[in-house]
Amino acid sequence: MEKVKKEISIIHPRPSSIVAALYTLRDLDVDVAILHGPPGCSFKHARLLEEDGIHVVTTSLDENGFVFGGHDELVALLDKVSEMFNPKLIGIVGTCVSMIIGEELHDAVLEANPDVPVIEVEVHAGYRNNTKGVLFALESALDAGIISEDEFDRQKVLLEEATIVEKRHGAASKEYLAPSRGDLKYKVAQRIIDLLKEGKRGITIMNAKKETGYMFADVTVAVNEVAKQLGVGSNIVNMANIDDTLGLPRVRHHAKCIAADFKERGIVIHENIGGMDEYPIAGDVAGKLIEEKYSDYDFVIITGVPHAIPMDCIPGMEIISVTNGPRQVLPMKEMGHDHVIVEIDLHPKTLGVNNIVESEFGATLREVAKDL
Amino acid sequence: MGDNRDDKMNDSKKPKIIAIYGKGGIGKSSTASNVAAACADEGYKVMIIGCDPKSDSSITLLGGKRIPTILDLMRSGVDITEDDVVFEGYNGVKCIEVGGPEPGIGCAGRGIIVAIQKLKKISKAQDECDLIIYDVPGDIVCGGFIAPIRKGLVSEAYVLTSGEYMPLYAANNICRGMSKINTPISGVICNARSVSREEEIVHKFAEEMGSDLIAFIPKEQIVQDCERDGFSVMERAPDSEIAQVYRNLARTIMSRNTSVMAKALEDERLRELTR
Ligand SMILES: Nc1ncnc2c1ncn2[C@@H]1O[C@H](COP(=O)(O)OP(=O)(O)OP(=O)(O)O)[C@@H](O)[C@H]1O
Ligand code: SF4
Ligand SMILES: [Mg+2]
Repeated sequence: MEKVKKEISIIHPRPSSIVAALYTLRDLDVDVAILHGPPGCSFKHARLLEEDGIHVVTTSLDENGFVFGGHDELVALLDKVSEMFNPKLIGIVGTCVSMIIGEELHDAVLEANPDVPVIEVEVHAGYRNNTKGVLFALESALDAGIISEDEFDRQKVLLEEATIVEKRHGAASKEYLAPSRGDLKYKVAQRIIDLLKEGKRGITIMNAKKETGYMFADVTVAVNEVAKQLGVGSNIVNMANIDDTLGLPRVRHHAKCIAADFKERGIVIHENIGGMDEYPIAGDVAGKLIEEKYSDYDFVIITGVPHAIPMDCIPGMEIISVTNGPRQVLPMKEMGHDHVIVEIDLHPKTLGVNNIVESEFGATLREVAKDL
Repeated sequence: MGDNRDDKMNDSKKPKIIAIYGKGGIGKSSTASNVAAACADEGYKVMIIGCDPKSDSSITLLGGKRIPTILDLMRSGVDITEDDVVFEGYNGVKCIEVGGPEPGIGCAGRGIIVAIQKLKKISKAQDECDLIIYDVPGDIVCGGFIAPIRKGLVSEAYVLTSGEYMPLYAANNICRGMSKINTPISGVICNARSVSREEEIVHKFAEEMGSDLIAFIPKEQIVQDCERDGFSVMERAPDSEIAQVYRNLARTIMSRNTSVMAKALEDERLRELTR
């Protein structure tokens, strides 16, 4: 019996495993996701996912459901969504309530017997790492024959890595992390322009998690535009995790779209550092490339999941990082990032889109450069 | 009762997985542990999984000792391996206790769900068994207590009752519940409380709900004497008459492969039976 290291007790609210399962179902291209639980559970994200094109419905368990179970409600809802939305693939997600009272999702599926595959995810919000929700969804998808064993194994490794990244320098690294808005955008924009003017050479690294890349890519674009404007376009090297041969179909689609937009705007991605679900490991790839080829560069602008880039690969460089996590500011400052910028409310703006969307920092940079 | 087995060992590698249901306090745990011991005596590999928060299913197989429960260990945050929770008791019977919260606190039902999932993950011992007995508490008060069946772990459900009205009433409700979740009943066992016409009453009950009475266990002081000392009857008093009854029941269970979707009786009929 091995004593495990006592885990710290984190008190700031964090992403939920139920929500993580919902997003995973979205990546698996379900047409309908059924939340088996109380009406308000995961409301905000359910709403966002509707913007992303999937139907999210709930069995709306109430006090009666808590006491007497919600089997009939789930069967009825399965029937209803089959009729209303004509889905090709359905997902069911458990909640704290339905799991505590021991609801069997599978029994309801057997009874309703829809003629399309159903991914049943037995999950609640009580897991320390929300990646559990992803894992359970993928396990069920594997059982339902939606993904291959190889893809499952690949994702599992990525999830483990993602959990490690969050524990090391992310939102799970401290007992309490206060949210922060980070450094002032125009000041950091000014700093980048100064560096470019001085003829300094810089690296942009987009290490984005899936669809968030639609906005982080805009920072890459803006930096290149401004560098070009200042006549030093060739001083910039671009890296991005936009390999469109890796990951679930939806994730590959994002990579294709973003790559196409880069191309259209004349941005060359010199180093493709991985798939859009590889943000926990693409940082290492970027780090190695820097050590091999770009160790004499002066500054680096990292977007997405900047804390996944190992610090010892970028010694002496001025580090500018752009995150969408307000709780990520403090840990990254502690790592030694010189400037940390937060794109507030990034995620909602990247749902349901197929093109790069303007970031606040990108816009600021362009605006400051205009006045030169 | 107690028919002859023609196959000595379970030749299909799949273990027989049973649960005994019945009114609280009717004798499920003592029947389960004596059957487990009797099957072990016959040379079968047996496992008993106590799914009761009071963790009293395996005590009489372990000489009165208590073992650490799965939930206690999970709660303390240690990494659990098979060796931490599976203990060998009388004649090699593998004993496991799920455990659970103190009465009136938390959610014991959820505890059972989590613990049996954990067990499935960490233990392969179940694959090598001929017989696995889930010992559940009397009242299936919530979803968790039925989890071993719902999760597809239990393949045979037995109903234990005496000839009294209340235990029969509980047994009848259990039959109704099992049918509702599409689980057949493999037989009725009478654990006697020495009421008049007891065998006849339970026999009738079993028949009318579509199954049959597979054993009549008399009420004997020796069961409680052995229990007090921390032993099963099979271990402490193998030559007693009641030991032979448990032995026969064990053989019946091991050779049995009939089960029926029970048809619960009307309450009026139940009263009539016991009048
Ligand atoms: N055939 C019998 N003769 C005499 N005493 C018996 C017999 N069967 C069981 N008992 C006694 O009845 C008591 C209750 O039995 P046991 O704990 O097995 O019931 P149970 O159904 O498992 O209860 P619970 O529902 O609380 O789990 C014990 O003290 C046991 O020794
Ligand atoms: S407690 Fe659990 S079930 Fe209830 S709303 Fe929160 S996440 Fe949903
Ligand atoms: Mg008991």
